[in-house]
Amino acid sequence: MDSPIDVEDCLRRWKQGDESAAEELILHLHPVISRIVRTHLPRRDHEDDVIQEILMKTFSRLHQYKGDAPMSHWVSRLALTTCLDRLRAQKIRPEVRWTDLTPEESTAFDAAWLGSSTPDATEAIHARDVVDKLLSTLAPADRSLILQVDLEGHSLEEIAQTTGWGISKIKMRLFRVRAQLRKMIQNMEKR
Amino acid sequence: MMNSENYAQTDEKWQALLARSTPTFAGDTAPPYGFVTSTLARLKAEKGERDMLERIGLRALFASLAILVAVVGVSIGMQIQDRMDFDPAVKSLLQADDIPIS
Repeated sequence: MDSPIDVEDCLRRWKQGDESAAEELILHLHPVISRIVRTHLPRRDHEDDVIQEILMKTFSRLHQYKGDAPMSHWVSRLALTTCLDRLRAQKIRPEVRWTDLTPEESTAFDAAWLGSSTPDATEAIHARDVVDKLLSTLAPADRSLILQVDLEGHSLEEIAQTTGWGISKIKMRLFRVRAQLRKMIQNMEKR
Repeated sequence: MMNSENYAQTDEKWQALLARSTPTFAGDTAPPYGFVTSTLARLKAEKGERDMLERIGLRALFASLAILVAVVGVSIGMQIQDRMDFDPAVKSLLQADDIPIS
């Protein structure tokens, strides 16, 4: 991820006040941050503002970057923490019911049940809105955990590294999150 | 109560919903138009603000150090002056006897 630009050189130039180095770093880090923000925050959240906030944090904390791991890893952690902080500020929904879904979302929910053909862009967005509604009932850390496992395909060991949790704690939380999601899906099915 | 078959069905449904929404989770490969310019402008503004605060902080620090030095100087001077001063009663006796006070 860090190969297209010389991060070390960019950092040195930025410290000397070279603005083009900052531009290179922004272009290099944007895809990494964008993916994390899009995954961990609901679709309608102010994505560009969050990405910019993360970039500001990155630049103001550059002196903390030791260079012992790729910069993209360091920035990913910062991005994930920012997303979790943002989610913590939002209200957790107690539950989601069928009546909470728009007609398009209801169709997307049924399409998943029926295993319909590959969705087009609009159908994917409606499916995402249903996913966001289900995720909004979870605590921020649980929401991030289930996405890291089910969407990003991270192993328990990788999650243990980023969160600092033990494997048994991760397994227990996953078990609880899955149970909660099952309950919400069952709730939705009670039309 | 849910049995294991129901568990599997709802889990499958969750996975299917997630799979159908996968394209919406992909990040952008490049920032939108104007993003880099506005980020650079914000970065510059924040840096300028930080530098200014640093300058103000340094000035305040130097000013308080100068005040501290002045206060220490004055109090040391007063202490020396006090040590050289006689008690008013002794001073008046000395003055009465016309003994010079240094």
